[in-house]
Amino acid sequence: MAPWKWHHLLLAAALAVVLATTLSLRGLAFAQTQPQLVSAYLASGLPTADPTAAAWGRANPVEVPLTAQNIVLPMLGTGSIPTIQVRSLNDGAWIAFRLEWADATKNDKAIAQDQFRDAAAIQLPLNQTVPGVCMGVRGQPVNLWHWKADWQNDIDNGFQDLFAAYPNFWKDYYPFAVGTPPFKAPVDFAGPDARRFLVGWAVGNPLSDPARVTPVEELVAEGFGSATHRVQQTVLGRGVWAAGKWSVVFARPLRTSEQTQAQLAPGGKGIIAVAAWDGANMEVGARKQVSADLALTIAGPTGAPQAAAEAPAQGANYWWLAIPVGLAALVIGSGLAGMLMTIYYRSRPRP
Amino acid sequence: MPKVFNWQLNREMDYPYPSALPSRQFSAVFDLNKCIACQTCTFACKNSWTVGRGQEYMFWNNVETKPYGGYPIAWDARLLEMLGPQTWEGGTYTGKTIFEGAPPGRAAVGFLPEELDWAHPNIGEDETSGLAERGMHLTIPHDIWNFYLPRICNHCSYPACLASCPRKAIYKRPEDGIVLLDQKRCRGYRECVRACPYKKVMYNGVTRISEKCIACFPLIEQGRQTQCIINCIGKIRMAGWIHQPQQVDPESPLDFMVHVRKVALPLYPQFGLMMNVYYIPPVHVPLPYLQQMFGPGVEKAQNVYRQVKDDEQLLGVFLLMGATDRWIEKFKVGGGWAYGYDIKGSEIVRVPLKESTVVRPFFDAARNVYRHNIT
Repeated sequence: MAPWKWHHLLLAAALAVVLATTLSLRGLAFAQTQPQLVSAYLASGLPTADPTAAAWGRANPVEVPLTAQNIVLPMLGTGSIPTIQVRSLNDGAWIAFRLEWADATKNDKAIAQDQFRDAAAIQLPLNQTVPGVCMGVRGQPVNLWHWKADWQNDIDNGFQDLFAAYPNFWKDYYPFAVGTPPFKAPVDFAGPDARRFLVGWAVGNPLSDPARVTPVEELVAEGFGSATHRVQQTVLGRGVWAAGKWSVVFARPLRTSEQTQAQLAPGGKGIIAVAAWDGANMEVGARKQVSADLALTIAGPTGAPQAAAEAPAQGANYWWLAIPVGLAALVIGSGLAGMLMTIYYRSRPRP
Repeated sequence: MPKVFNWQLNREMDYPYPSALPSRQFSAVFDLNKCIACQTCTFACKNSWTVGRGQEYMFWNNVETKPYGGYPIAWDARLLEMLGPQTWEGGTYTGKTIFEGAPPGRAAVGFLPEELDWAHPNIGEDETSGLAERGMHLTIPHDIWNFYLPRICNHCSYPACLASCPRKAIYKRPEDGIVLLDQKRCRGYRECVRACPYKKVMYNGVTRISEKCIACFPLIEQGRQTQCIINCIGKIRMAGWIHQPQQVDPESPLDFMVHVRKVALPLYPQFGLMMNVYYIPPVHVPLPYLQQMFGPGVEKAQNVYRQVKDDEQLLGVFLLMGATDRWIEKFKVGGGWAYGYDIKGSEIVRVPLKESTVVRPFFDAARNVYRHNIT
């Protein structure tokens, strides 16, 4: 039997500790083949509509790689968002997700013919035990939470009428419009006769509804091209663009009474995937960038994830260090034990 | 990809869906020899359908001056360049359609016009193909020329807008072949705007979804022709049903012009959409330009057109153009008159092949006046 090379083991353990410490200090866990996302527990003050809240520092960020949708037509080809950072928090009743990605251009209008919005989405398979297929398949629907930068702009700054793209716009007359030229949408077109000339609005297309209450559209899909607006819209959200980055929050109660909504449970597990669109790259619809499934663990008020929630400093998640440090200790311990056993066996009297 | 037969190319071609031709197909013929670009059609359409917020720039019907006009700018020249060589052998197209030439990840060859491409609906208006030089004189075809091209949605048999919509928000009505965009289902992706070679789907920045020509279906459902057709003061247009070549009804005025006399031709048939608006090519324009635009049948169509004075049947159909706002199911010519009939076979219009001439005396004794005009 070869002698234990215990100094090799010690070296490996030391390296593991250094790597884990570096990653933890950077506040990042690089998602590899099976990305894991832990929704940290926060007893109160869940930031359901504030991507800049300090509380997000308590959630462990996962950097998720995105790939261009090149499965169905129309394909994206090459995307411009390589990764997206995902965090999650929950308070036992609501769950919130925060997506952050680099985007040098803020595309928050979709008014001109060649103008496309930035957007991001979260996908949850309705059956949270079955891995989600992109956009779902027949019989295995998925929930989609689709945040749109132009909707956010509508909410933050009022409906983005033609003036947002054409400040000097003028028109004398519209049938049945009230008010004075050049008129304002939607207020001057709210009457049923005037609204008939804004057909998408008149027939109830949610894309065309100027009275937005949330920047997040909640949909159900059973395959590409089947995304359908849910009658009940329950997802809250808000997106902020600053310093070349979008950060967007999505929030919904963990449990709902709706059969077409994915049900999550405190302390339970789930599956999510994310997607993003860069309006400057004319990304829209299936021209998007998507992630693989992330395994979601929803931490309850007890257990290790809770400790993370109680950890104070932003970005420093000391509980996370426990895993590599524990592993290192295990390796060092085994090495020492092996060494002692070798010494013992060598020193005992031979028959 | 399924194969469908396109009689305008005289061959099968690739299309994302199997052929599902309607029981009858909305169609129209525009006589380019008679269009004067007065834009009355444009405004009949505009006042009917695109007077709303977000539709300011939209012209579901437009009239552009060829060769340089185009709405949006260079919609056809850009696509022709992208499509590559468009060759015909005899009456068969041997080049690629926009579906067959589709780049990877796309349903069709196409492009999304930029904002400013839509900003000049009258670009190139009344411009001629070149400058008049010394020594030029009037010839047929003309040395320098232009003509007016009125355009609406072609309500294609194999629509590219429909083929490219990942939402399946665009559908072709089985009862009349009109191609409609479901305003409730559209999500404003503009794949249809990219794919439609004629750029007749347009994006509304206020409703943030796309819209298109609806062929005035509420009128057609009541047995009437479309706004752009019944308001045409030059009487250059007629709507009607068109059938496939094997089911031609020679009493249908559209079938008669397109299939029997072959005087009306599809616009850019090489795109492969089997479009349903047909054009009588202008007789004064050089053949190469027209053949690129209307395919290999141009010369024959021009010859038929030139002989119309000796073709009582065709003359009768031409005279029925613009003669009624009702939908002419069938026509008949005889005894110096052309007759139009509705779906029940009732006569709805009759026009003389030749207006009678009345001669009145130069001096009207009863009124004690001289006439300036006695015929």
